[in-house]
Amino acid sequence: MEEQTPVLEMRDIVKVYPDGTKALKGVTIKVYEGEILGLLGENGAGKTTLMKILFGMLKPTRGKIFLRGKEVRFKSPADAIANGIGMVHQHFTLVEVFNALENIILGMEGHGLLSKIDVENARKKLQKLMDELNFQVPLDVPVENLPVGVQQRIEILKMLYRDVDILILDEPTAVLTPIEVRELFAVLRKLKEQGKTIIFISHKLNEVMEITDRVTVIRKGEVVGTVKTSEATPQLLARMMVGRDVVLRIEKPPKEPGEVIFRVEDLWVKGDRGEDAVRGLTFEVRAGEIFGIAGVEGNGQSELIEAIAGLRKVEKGKVYLKGVDITGKRPRELYDMGMAHIPEDRTHMGLILEMSVMENSILGMHWRKEFSKGFLLDWNKVEEHAKRLIEEFEVSAPGTKAPVKSLSGGNQQKLIVAREVSKRPDFIIAAQPTRGVDVASTEYIRNYLVKLRNENKAVLLVSADLDEVLQLSDRMAIMYEGQFMGIVKPDEVTEEQIGLMMGGVKGEPQK
Amino acid sequence: MNLKNELRGYAKPVAESVLAILIGVLVGALVLWFSGYSPLEAYYWLIVGSLASTDGIAETLAKSAPLILTAITFAIGARTGLFNVGAEGTVYFGAMAAIIVTQYLQNPIAGLLAGLLIGALWALPAAVLKVYRGVHEVISTIMFNWIAFFLVSWLAVSVYYNPKDPNSTLPIPPSARLPLLIKGTSLSWAFIVAILSAIIVFIVMWHTKLGYELRTSGQNPRAAEYGGINPKRSAIWSFVIGGMTAGLAGAGLVMGTPPSYAITQGLANVHGYGFDGIGVSLVGRNHPLGIIFAGILFGALSAGATAMQQHAHVPLEMIKVIEGIIIIAVAVPGLLDLFARPFRRGEA
Repeated sequence: MEEQTPVLEMRDIVKVYPDGTKALKGVTIKVYEGEILGLLGENGAGKTTLMKILFGMLKPTRGKIFLRGKEVRFKSPADAIANGIGMVHQHFTLVEVFNALENIILGMEGHGLLSKIDVENARKKLQKLMDELNFQVPLDVPVENLPVGVQQRIEILKMLYRDVDILILDEPTAVLTPIEVRELFAVLRKLKEQGKTIIFISHKLNEVMEITDRVTVIRKGEVVGTVKTSEATPQLLARMMVGRDVVLRIEKPPKEPGEVIFRVEDLWVKGDRGEDAVRGLTFEVRAGEIFGIAGVEGNGQSELIEAIAGLRKVEKGKVYLKGVDITGKRPRELYDMGMAHIPEDRTHMGLILEMSVMENSILGMHWRKEFSKGFLLDWNKVEEHAKRLIEEFEVSAPGTKAPVKSLSGGNQQKLIVAREVSKRPDFIIAAQPTRGVDVASTEYIRNYLVKLRNENKAVLLVSADLDEVLQLSDRMAIMYEGQFMGIVKPDEVTEEQIGLMMGGVKGEPQK
Repeated sequence: MNLKNELRGYAKPVAESVLAILIGVLVGALVLWFSGYSPLEAYYWLIVGSLASTDGIAETLAKSAPLILTAITFAIGARTGLFNVGAEGTVYFGAMAAIIVTQYLQNPIAGLLAGLLIGALWALPAAVLKVYRGVHEVISTIMFNWIAFFLVSWLAVSVYYNPKDPNSTLPIPPSARLPLLIKGTSLSWAFIVAILSAIIVFIVMWHTKLGYELRTSGQNPRAAEYGGINPKRSAIWSFVIGGMTAGLAGAGLVMGTPPSYAITQGLANVHGYGFDGIGVSLVGRNHPLGIIFAGILFGALSAGATAMQQHAHVPLEMIKVIEGIIIIAVAVPGLLDLFARPFRRGEA
């Protein structure tokens, strides 16, 4: 393999953004025909920037791209596609009300406003493509009604339909369930068999280990190295990625849980469309315990969290915190009673992006006496508080007055965790606490949740990341269509059992 | 250190507004030129009329007072995520309330309080409709402006008319008028009231819990709710405080503007301030302190316009054209970036 010329080479790519940020400092990567190359790096390492340059979405400040030995320069994604390079983005670019067929042929309808679209021909061509690859998507259902995994396959099909032979996948598994990931990998292997070349962007070590042939690791805009996957270990890759050894295992000493802090009884909650999103849940979280809820996203987890955090109406049932009925209480009362909430949507709920770190550091506790001076807010005290959070949680921020949107995702999340912990809660809800967060911050946040548990707090962890739930929970439930398929201990259950429950098969009855 | 950081935050919006003003002046010059007037002569008299004499300055500041107050109404709304254009009608009510109350309580404080209170009350219907029934505030406040116009017109013509002068309402009794700051001009305490209001609103919005809650609700209502803030309560407060300043604007207008100290026929002398305030607020970047400067600028344009008409024979309306250009220039997002980019490219 080493001897052949790469099908694609990006040489000495430099990208400096107008604000002076050096996203790439001379990156060279080589991709060989028919291989799956992993592009591994933390959030903000420059993976996506590099691929956007390849796909013609960004112009490099310096550097060259060679396709089959010939220098190329793409002015737009359409240009890249015409040259056989396709990209599937982390955030999908589908028209939600269109069906798969319409989405796939979008932009290829032919010229002229009134020219006829040859739908039947397109359908035939697509069907043939799907048969070859041995994966099917429903062509006539509006994509908004399809699961994310299927939407992603539509995105892939969209590219293949355009005859690309180099496919870039940007964090393709971020939104998928474990089963969907397995299915995706099957598709990728099939594509590889057919001679397609794939660039797989990820920060998940296991996935890179499983699917790729070679891995190029990028850190802070530079290539750290390229290794053959068969010669690599997760530990080696982790070290390359973060520049130090990452404790991939979380230290979790055994602990006897204490009294019941939080209890939910026969809880029913409606979703936005009036459907029963949560259907009769009953569970409890004890002091010194992490209770995890796993499951495919969209099975009522969000509605459950919002209902217990005072943000959504409870239709039926009761919620108790430290023995007090808190059903229907407002967030402010709940926080004053010792609840804290790391929300799943940090940019739309957890933070006010335009406001400063300081202002964000007191959200949900701004009424506390410690921050006021008569009827004025004591900004000096707030600043001290914000500085304390930044220091304790190693949040890297330009300053307390900087708008929160200038922080990276991982640091934004650390700021939220820091703020919520500073409320000194007895019960903390952690919803998707490490989603879209870099490895180092993930490790930090996970260890912190364990620390809270060790300090006898009750933690409710809701996460679509199965590994996270397995690793952190003392007990865990698997949620499916608003119900628990079972409550189990992570070390007494196999991955297959969990997979089944996530797919809606009830676990062994627990008495 | 703190102050320096804070000032840096203000640098960009200030620069953007200054740039917009320059564009307004330049494009205005072109319009004047094409219309057959001498831009130099026009601007000369504009400046002389507004800034070159004590009288001019007094007139500038006097004109700015109601604009500052109605601009604040809009700014508080904008900061809370509301597009409150109800200042216009509230000004009429504030003026009428001051006239009515001072007939009985002949004291300036009573008059101002009347304007303040009626402003708060008149804001409530739109607030309640918004919060509990989801009626969009633009629709409701525009409608309420018309209700206010006809209601106050009726009061002016049929109830509180001046028996000695059918063209105006009863005047504010002399003992309830706002004292003049400079004798022989129309600059009264109304200006001080406007400045103080701007400062108080600044403190409320940036240094109290209430202001924090209002701004949070405006930026991100979901985050506000999550943060234990009731966005509905924020909206109501926003309407009420905004109503107060617009009410004050109306009261100040009749209590502090010689010689009539009354509402004139067709509400002519209290008309238009609410809508002009929107432009002032935009140029002042919806910030109370920026609004003070923008208000004075618009006051100067309006004060200088008279001299411009008298000496350069440029019609008064031309000033509205210049104001309009300034506002449009402010509204162009990223205006400054547009101008700064060619220079930055040179650096890289």
